[in-house]
Amino acid sequence: MSPRVRLWVFLVGAAGFAALFAAACLDLPAFGTVPHPYGVRAVHAALSHHTANVIASVNFDLRAFDTLGEESILFSAVIGTVVLLRQARDEHRKDPEPATVHPPVRRFALLTLPFALLVGLYVIAHGQISPGGGFQGGVVAATALHLLYIAADYRALERVRPLTLYEIGEAAGEAAYVITGLAAVLAGSAFLANVLPFGTLATLSSGGTAMVLNAAVGLEVTSGIVVLLARFLDQAVEIEEPGEGGGSPRDTRDSGGNGDDERERA
Amino acid sequence: MDTARLLPLVVAVPLLGAAVLVATGRRLPRLVSDIVGCAFAAATAATALLVLFRAGHPGPGGYPVEWVGGWQRVGIVLVGDPLGAGLAALVSLLVVAVLVYSWRYFEEPPRRHTGSFPALILVFQAGMCGFALTGDLFNAFVFFELMGVVAYALTGFRVEEPKPLQGALAFGVVNSLGAYVTLLGITLLYARTGELGFAQIGRRLDTEGPDGLVLAAFVLVTTGLLVKAAAVPFHFWLPDAHAVAPTPVCMLLSGVMVELGVYGVARVYWTVFSGPGGLSHPDFTRALLVLGVLTALLGAVMCWQQRHLKRLLAFSTVAHTGLFLIGVAVLTPEGISGTALYVLGHAGVKAALFACAGVLLDRYATVDEHELFGRARELPAVGVLFAVGGLALSGLPPFGSGLGKAAAEEAAGHTAVWLPALYVLVSAVTGGAVLRAGLRIFAGVGRRPRDEEEGGPETTGEEEPETGGRLGRIPMPLLAVPAGLLAASLALGVVPAVASAVGRAGALFTDTGGYRRTVLDGHAEAVPAHVPPHWQLTGILLGLLSAALAITLATLAVRRPVHTGTAALLAPVRRLQSGHIGDYVAWLIAGTALLTALTVPGVR
Repeated sequence: MSPRVRLWVFLVGAAGFAALFAAACLDLPAFGTVPHPYGVRAVHAALSHHTANVIASVNFDLRAFDTLGEESILFSAVIGTVVLLRQARDEHRKDPEPATVHPPVRRFALLTLPFALLVGLYVIAHGQISPGGGFQGGVVAATALHLLYIAADYRALERVRPLTLYEIGEAAGEAAYVITGLAAVLAGSAFLANVLPFGTLATLSSGGTAMVLNAAVGLEVTSGIVVLLARFLDQAVEIEEPGEGGGSPRDTRDSGGNGDDERERA
Repeated sequence: MDTARLLPLVVAVPLLGAAVLVATGRRLPRLVSDIVGCAFAAATAATALLVLFRAGHPGPGGYPVEWVGGWQRVGIVLVGDPLGAGLAALVSLLVVAVLVYSWRYFEEPPRRHTGSFPALILVFQAGMCGFALTGDLFNAFVFFELMGVVAYALTGFRVEEPKPLQGALAFGVVNSLGAYVTLLGITLLYARTGELGFAQIGRRLDTEGPDGLVLAAFVLVTTGLLVKAAAVPFHFWLPDAHAVAPTPVCMLLSGVMVELGVYGVARVYWTVFSGPGGLSHPDFTRALLVLGVLTALLGAVMCWQQRHLKRLLAFSTVAHTGLFLIGVAVLTPEGISGTALYVLGHAGVKAALFACAGVLLDRYATVDEHELFGRARELPAVGVLFAVGGLALSGLPPFGSGLGKAAAEEAAGHTAVWLPALYVLVSAVTGGAVLRAGLRIFAGVGRRPRDEEEGGPETTGEEEPETGGRLGRIPMPLLAVPAGLLAASLALGVVPAVASAVGRAGALFTDTGGYRRTVLDGHAEAVPAHVPPHWQLTGILLGLLSAALAITLATLAVRRPVHTGTAALLAPVRRLQSGHIGDYVAWLIAGTALLTALTVPGVR
């Protein structure tokens, strides 16, 4: 289609879509009037299982099966990225060059790193008590590590980032979630049922399996995001397009391994 | 163990398998990771079959219902009704077939990540099984997204070529947009009812009359599912993705994933919107019938025009999806059970045909009908399988696809008398296109086609084999799998127990009140009166007619020069398939408006 025709097809469609959606919005319940039926039930359910953070209770208890699906979406997105961003047959890999960093930037990043990491772990650990949890804290913890890339350079980051370990961590997080669910079945309950003692409300050990599942997701997300970013950074920093950078310093086309593995072996 | 307890395992086991493969895949040799993948897929298939077998037998409770986590009426429910359980079993069996087929496929798995291909396939299996078994709208959306994410990655698996990445990108963008539209519809329903389960939403909607919100929710939720089902005008992603995805992945995409979109439309309508507070039956029938007929015709026309084998098969999937949508649109138990059987038979046949195309690709590094002219005479076994697949696709009795087509067209004939003619025409044209390609490739019949006669930019193939190098001898699994799939498709049409089970499944599927009572109240429901699909004289004759038409079309096509007149006439239709993602998005939005226009008389 020509851009003009495409625009018209879109505009006509968008007009219909807008009319439909406007009609729907007019029939929505008025804002802030009626207590929402699901909210009432969810709060009741969360408190009955001693989970102070109702969102965590919905995610890891009431609708833990959805979260299994969502965790698996991230899990498979990371495998998919690893597969799609692998070093193609005609691409070369070169060692990243050392970078010079302005001292203030270096100091700031090194100072922030431990705090950011701690905040990430805190947010994961307190998922069942306060806002946050495995998904959010995992992203914070994973990005904290990458402050090293800003503070020093890619080689420094690669030294603290044994990718194999993170790939195993990702799979372990996914497996831990499924196994927790299966353990409930073995205990004679429904899949993903909350079979552990609920503990005292608003303490670190409260929430029963919600706590375990939250930790599993935290492990999966932290490791998954590290692997994900590693693939994108590799693509940007280390892997060269076929014609790019003529005299490639290290051609690993036939060596059957990517850079990380070689460094691990070294 | 209680049958209901087995339902979540159908999702959990393949996910666990995927985690194991990713964790150990770096160190495992190829053979071991393939065996592990097959073992987990087979264990899932056994579980799904066990559920299906138990659900298929009438007993107290009707069919298994499991509240995950034990959250009765608050949490997520999994429902093993015979149709959903049957689809989960179909998915699992096809996944096993695909893993066996790809045993020696991909000579070069991603370095140091041998486990990633079977791991992705296992997650794909979990997503599709979850989608088939869930009784919760939001959970269905989660699994819809899960199978999407895996499918995008699998489509672009061969990163050395640009086309798979372009196809995967179009697939990803269009399907993600469809998913967002569905999510928008789910939020509307949630805002109105405060519920997410199919049965709960349906009950709440029926306490009030239909209004604009309900209509909008129906249109939005259905749009995303129709994108997955590749209904016109949401279908553009499918040929682009199927033509370039690795062959084993195509077997799953065409064999079951697209059909799950149709299943989603039917499931959501029957459980949520079919009551007095939803969308009236005539409105649904009109909307889906129009889209189904358009899809079937466009798919058949485009299928006939292709010379790239995988594209040809992809458009035949579009055409058949149109027929499935018509079967759902007529809103009868017979329409559903006929279509279900058609889907089962089609899955085997279409996967077998893709498997044959894969053999050609790996031996000759092309799947172009003209380039391959006569070259595959040396592969008589593959040729026979391909021809049998073409005939089964056209609905030849006694294949399962033939019985399904016969039952579905009879059910459709009660709604409009001309619909059986459409079934015959579309299955004859798609089957004929396959037979035409088979005659040229495997027998070298007719004139050698000259390249300037037809073909556009989208059909020229520069392909690479998907195995390490070109195949010399054809490995056993590459032949055994299509043969097994065709045999299974034949068995579906011959074994009477299958037809009666499918008939029962269709009757339970369309019993809205029974579904809601079984899920929410735990009542055992009697199976409503129904007629299971069975061979009738008209069905057999129409099936034979389709097959005869397909053979005639194929022989005429290879003997006569190509009519450039018709090709020119259809050029504008072909040009719609532009490969431009912007075009596809514009059509998606326009399609939503079209669906609105078709259903809007429903508001009173």
